[in-house]
Amino acid sequence: MKKINISIILMSIVLLSSCNGFLDVKPSNSAASETSITNVNDAGVAINGLISKMSSADYYGRNFIMYGDAKGGDFAIRSQGRGLDALYTFNHSATSNSYSGYWNQIYHNILQANNIILNINKLEADGKGSTALSSYKGQALTARALMYFDLVRLYGKPYNMDKASYGVPLILEPLDAAAQPTRNSVEEVYTQILKDLKDAEPMLSKSVSKGYLNYYANLAIQGRVYLHMDRFDDALTAAEIIINDKKYTLYTNDKWVASWSLEGGSESIFELAMYVSEGDLRTGSLGYYLLRNGKITGAMGWFMASDYYLARLGEDADDVRWGIMDYDESANDRFGSCLKYAGVDLKGDKGSTSAVNIKVIRLSEVYLMAAEAAFRKATPDKTKAADYLNAIRKRAPNLDPADATTVTLDMIIDERSKELFAEGHRYFDMLRLNRTIEFNDDFISPAVQISHRTKTINRTFYKAILPISQAEMDANPAIAAQQNNGY
Amino acid sequence: MKKSILIVLSVLLVNIGWAQMRVTGTVTSSDDGSPVPYATILVKGVRGAGANTDLDGKYTLTNVPADAVLVFSYIGYRTQEVPIAGRAVVNVVLSPDALALDEVMVVAYGTATKGTFTGAASVVKSDAIRDVPTLSFENAMNGKVAGMQITTTSGQAGATSSIRVRGIGSMNASNEPLYVVDGVPVVSGNVTQMGIYTTNNVMSTINPSDIESVTVLKDAAASALYGSRAANGVIVITTKRGKLGKTTVNFKASVGITPSFATDNFEAATTEQQVEMYYENFWNADVYYRGRTEAVASTNALKQLNNRFNKHGYVFSAPDNTVNSLTITGDRAGQYFNWDDVLFRTAVYHSYDLSVSGATDASNYYSSLSYTKNLGRSVINEYDRITGRVNLTQKVGKFVEFATNINIARSNMEGFNDTRATGSNYFMQSRNLLWGLYWPTDYKTGAPWTARYGSYAYNPIYYNNEWENNSRTLRISANESVTVKILPELQLKSIFSYDNTQTQDHIYYSKLHFSGSSVGGSVSEMVTNINKWVSSTTLNYNKEFAKRHNVGVLVGWEVEENKSEFARATGTNLPTSALHTVATAGKLDANAYFWGNTMVSMLSRAEYNYDNKYYISGSYRRDGSSRLSPSARWGNFWSVAGSWRIDKENFMKNIDFISSLRLRGSYGVNGTLPSSNYGWRSLTTYGDKYMEQPGSGVSTIADANLSWETSYTSNLALEFGLFDQRLTGSVEVFNRDSRNLLQDVPISRVTGFGSTLKNVGEINNKGVEIELNGDIIKTQDIVWSAGITASAIKSTVTKLYGGQDIIWYDPTGGDSRAKFIYKEGESTLALYGREWAGVERETGKNLWFLNNSNTADLTVDGRPATYDYTKASEKIIGNIHPKLFGGINTSVEWKGLSLALNFTYKLGGQTYDAVGRDVTDDGYYWERIVSRDQYENRWTPQNKDAKYPMRIAIDLEDVNQRSTRHMHKADYLRLKNMTLAYNLPKNIVSKVKLANARVYFNGSNLFTMAAYDVYDPEVNEYGTRGWEIPLGKTYTFGVEFTF
Repeated sequence: MKKINISIILMSIVLLSSCNGFLDVKPSNSAASETSITNVNDAGVAINGLISKMSSADYYGRNFIMYGDAKGGDFAIRSQGRGLDALYTFNHSATSNSYSGYWNQIYHNILQANNIILNINKLEADGKGSTALSSYKGQALTARALMYFDLVRLYGKPYNMDKASYGVPLILEPLDAAAQPTRNSVEEVYTQILKDLKDAEPMLSKSVSKGYLNYYANLAIQGRVYLHMDRFDDALTAAEIIINDKKYTLYTNDKWVASWSLEGGSESIFELAMYVSEGDLRTGSLGYYLLRNGKITGAMGWFMASDYYLARLGEDADDVRWGIMDYDESANDRFGSCLKYAGVDLKGDKGSTSAVNIKVIRLSEVYLMAAEAAFRKATPDKTKAADYLNAIRKRAPNLDPADATTVTLDMIIDERSKELFAEGHRYFDMLRLNRTIEFNDDFISPAVQISHRTKTINRTFYKAILPISQAEMDANPAIAAQQNNGY
Repeated sequence: MKKSILIVLSVLLVNIGWAQMRVTGTVTSSDDGSPVPYATILVKGVRGAGANTDLDGKYTLTNVPADAVLVFSYIGYRTQEVPIAGRAVVNVVLSPDALALDEVMVVAYGTATKGTFTGAASVVKSDAIRDVPTLSFENAMNGKVAGMQITTTSGQAGATSSIRVRGIGSMNASNEPLYVVDGVPVVSGNVTQMGIYTTNNVMSTINPSDIESVTVLKDAAASALYGSRAANGVIVITTKRGKLGKTTVNFKASVGITPSFATDNFEAATTEQQVEMYYENFWNADVYYRGRTEAVASTNALKQLNNRFNKHGYVFSAPDNTVNSLTITGDRAGQYFNWDDVLFRTAVYHSYDLSVSGATDASNYYSSLSYTKNLGRSVINEYDRITGRVNLTQKVGKFVEFATNINIARSNMEGFNDTRATGSNYFMQSRNLLWGLYWPTDYKTGAPWTARYGSYAYNPIYYNNEWENNSRTLRISANESVTVKILPELQLKSIFSYDNTQTQDHIYYSKLHFSGSSVGGSVSEMVTNINKWVSSTTLNYNKEFAKRHNVGVLVGWEVEENKSEFARATGTNLPTSALHTVATAGKLDANAYFWGNTMVSMLSRAEYNYDNKYYISGSYRRDGSSRLSPSARWGNFWSVAGSWRIDKENFMKNIDFISSLRLRGSYGVNGTLPSSNYGWRSLTTYGDKYMEQPGSGVSTIADANLSWETSYTSNLALEFGLFDQRLTGSVEVFNRDSRNLLQDVPISRVTGFGSTLKNVGEINNKGVEIELNGDIIKTQDIVWSAGITASAIKSTVTKLYGGQDIIWYDPTGGDSRAKFIYKEGESTLALYGREWAGVERETGKNLWFLNNSNTADLTVDGRPATYDYTKASEKIIGNIHPKLFGGINTSVEWKGLSLALNFTYKLGGQTYDAVGRDVTDDGYYWERIVSRDQYENRWTPQNKDAKYPMRIAIDLEDVNQRSTRHMHKADYLRLKNMTLAYNLPKNIVSKVKLANARVYFNGSNLFTMAAYDVYDPEVNEYGTRGWEIPLGKTYTFGVEFTF
């Protein structure tokens, strides 16, 4: 009897003393956040995660690209209700169609970048720095700059319109769950973007790397930012380094169409990789959304080229860029369906209609950036402007090349439209250039009245930028007072 | 003292008047006719005179006065008084007494008698569930326990049920009770990883025939000993043991058929009516909306019909350009394909149970083997199961007893996706997608039709052969215990239990199947291995002091580990349709990981009663769980309770009609753990792979102080028995305040996330439960008894984070079918949506009450209304919780014949119809078929007082709004089960060497009366009815033999 009593007591002592270990159960498919980046390998894995998240459907994977074209007048819709058409009709408000996905996803990605930067800083402070680690930090900083640049253009007024107005909250370290940050000014955000880019510039590798950000991607983003800030000399400098270092080369006319079926082409400065087994959006991908309705199962034909775009490209019937256009649902001689994300044979760059790499920065854009910067800088260099423009303009073989006397800003901007169609640029160009945007509403069949905007708009229209969503204002009451005017 | 003198005197007096005689007889159980060994027979009024029955239930009494009255009693049976009246043989049939106050019931960590237990608990015995054809016991408990709601979302064989004990106490964590089998907490709920395809209820691994009793612990006093998992109640299952006496062999076989559903369920209109509505839909759009002529409208409508159905052999015309002249011609005219015949069948249930049991003074055994097969109503749904059980106890010496309970179950289930999936839900196809004009073959070539039909449905006859799924479960649970009597009053019990459930899920699509065609066919094998071990040791001390003071003390500890392992292998690009294995596939994909949690607990309970009159008890448990951070890990749960046997007071002596009266009350604290194993940890996950390299990302911002939800429950009950226990019952009131409820609190998205889990909300549940049972007629030959359970529960959200409302949707089926709001002061199941104002009489348009200050288009019933639903505001439109629910049970026993009826009912509250948006739509899904209800009640110029608007093909979204249009009264009464049983007379039975033979018939869901009769009123736990396959009417015939 006594033996039993003693053994019970012993058992309980053993049990209770081992409790703490016994009660520490860790997950098998995830790690504690605090200790997830402790060396250079972890940092590399985290960079993969960050870049992968940039290709989500709410960002470069689809919606951000669509935003830049649906709102810029180069896209038209045939029917309402297929999806994302509210971007085109400007049917957005804080409570319905808030398009908060941009805000949510990009801030989620910024958290990842902040977490990487914070942890690399810690490692470096502990004397564990290395070139590789520094390169990862450079990528995180560059990614953060690009994301803030995109965010501030979605939610803030153009820099050259009102840089003192509200931009977006500027967050540089991981936040506590209770944080309720408020908006910084557009100017403050741009200042940080340039700081991040400049800080990152020396850390980044100059070698071509498929699927990741490098030194040249950083410079190209700098160029974009400078164009938005009307700092044309700086934009030209950045663009010319990329052009002159010749790590990247323009596609020749005969290779241009095929380039859309290739990954890591010679123009690709920053390309987001999409694999069938990874971020593939399948029937929700850019490729499917731009296919003609019903061309293959699941193709919805969300957006196609507007009459205005077709007219612009139609300046030369032999323009190589027709090669990527397919006829659309309206008529079999209207080539409004774009195959940039499916490839002309619908096999993309890896045999899939949907898992196709997204070309975020191409050398063609850099040439046109250089052309525009040379043309618009305080002391214009029209010869340079014409030369850089012609490098792209020659893709329309029947058009006369520009020269210092004939080159105009319109020619450069039109060339941007023709070359960068469906790559997410047009709307932002129109805003920064303060141009009027006209929509091809008469293309919708049967005809409907678009009630949320007029047929033409410009950047003074309050819906030219997105609202802060109701959900954000509910969770973060301080930001409610900073809602964009009009919403 | 005085009393005994009187007795002695009276005996003496009696002895003078009557002769002494010898009486023999047999005592049997009305349960199954088996002999009752060790029953006590006393001679009324004679001290010390009496006997016990032997193993065969026989007894002999000598020197009994011929006019004496014999008192037959046995634990768990109703005591009977039988006058000898000069007979030499007195045979008695004892019937079980579910209401006896000295009935032993299994409670937390031990047993108690009903009359002394201070907590709130209800017991359901095996005989109440044994004849119901069910794979799992929950389905047979409906309406039998006050305060408990049991719902089954899907009528598929093997589907999981949901149980709510006393309302809803949590928004984020589980609302399901804890299940305890033979003293050990077990795994419960769905165990398959097939997601939407099917659920597989792990409770089905327990053969209902092996269950002796189910105790539902409801208040804190009853359940607090289970601490941090007990807030939603505890279901304590006890499996059968042998009875003292000779070996009993029991064989039971039953066959059930389910030829039809229990009620109408969105019955489709006839094919001609569908064609008429299809034409009308387009015709209306042209005439009323676009202002075109009838001729144009008719041409367009006919074009639609002909485009769609010419290829199936039908041609449409309407010479006078209206629906009146619409005629169907063509090769197949006059014949329509009956898809119901292809999709459904008469369900068959058959079950065979064999058990052998018995006991001696030293050992007790029960073993069983069973086989059950259930073919569901849908052609793709079947379930079969083999279970085996051995329960064994063996005394070793005088002080030690070992017990082993082992259960093995192997089940195989095939199911289908009965969510709102157009491609695969056969119920939805039969009511919403498959026209009688669609045929499984091409009428020109006779080849199988493989293309998708115009309404998103596929030809099931063809595709059923191109896919397969099954979920196989093997569960082994072993429960070993040793009990040591250290002193007569001190007992040590140690249990070690291992419970392993392994589920293998298999799903295959051929390359011809629409789900497999894009990947060249696919096959997945998933294995989930759920391991649970529990070690629990308790010391129990019970002693009576000075014959009045009874003390009981229990102390113990318990350790539990749960670990689940998951592995999946998927192959695509399959070589041939003959091989459905991953090994042969061209392309492989895999996943594997594990998860789990642990818990360490100390527990204690003290009980004291004075003279079996005044009872008090208290319990205390301390739990430490791995689901919480080290700083918040330990929690304390406790209860205090008391009861008072008023009937034992002297002042009650003279009140004859009250035979028992007891007041009891309790207060206590128990809890609910977060559902997530790692909710308190901020995690980095590796889901963002990039270019075939691993990619990581921060995936949560967690609250490291995350804690359990805590419930504070008080309970007060009055139990009574009148007229010598002929009428018994209880009235019970309870109040449960659940605090620190976990809530996904919305946070600024600038943090990178939308929400974080915090302990912030509060919910209150309070209610009244009534149980009444009585014998209406009670004679030697006939016993007619009836009982009722009734519960009224009010379940209210009392506090939310920052007072902010939370909008949420019924998660069932993932189709956001009904919208709810958590709002302070409102019901926990408050339906949220717009208020539909019906149909405008002259135009057939939808009308909506504004419920805001927008400019009204018109007024309806004097209230501002609009044609445009977007202008109307949402508000709370209804409450799912009923005002009253419960069951009515009645039974009549006459000779060997018995008839039992078990009704369930619900009064008040609403149900939400998630199917109405599909089958009574206004022309939005014009390619689909709609219901008879829609045909009969839609607006037409001839039917202006219509329930539903005009059908018009202009993509009206009105029907898709969550609104009062789809909300209906929930009231219903259902004859859940009816059992007619006959015990063959003993003299016949004994000739074939049987101890007992019984035949029975059970009918399930035979009769239903509902306030809204378009669909089955037995809805899911959120009060919604979606595209899940409904319950059927089942007729079961069974025989049972005891040797």
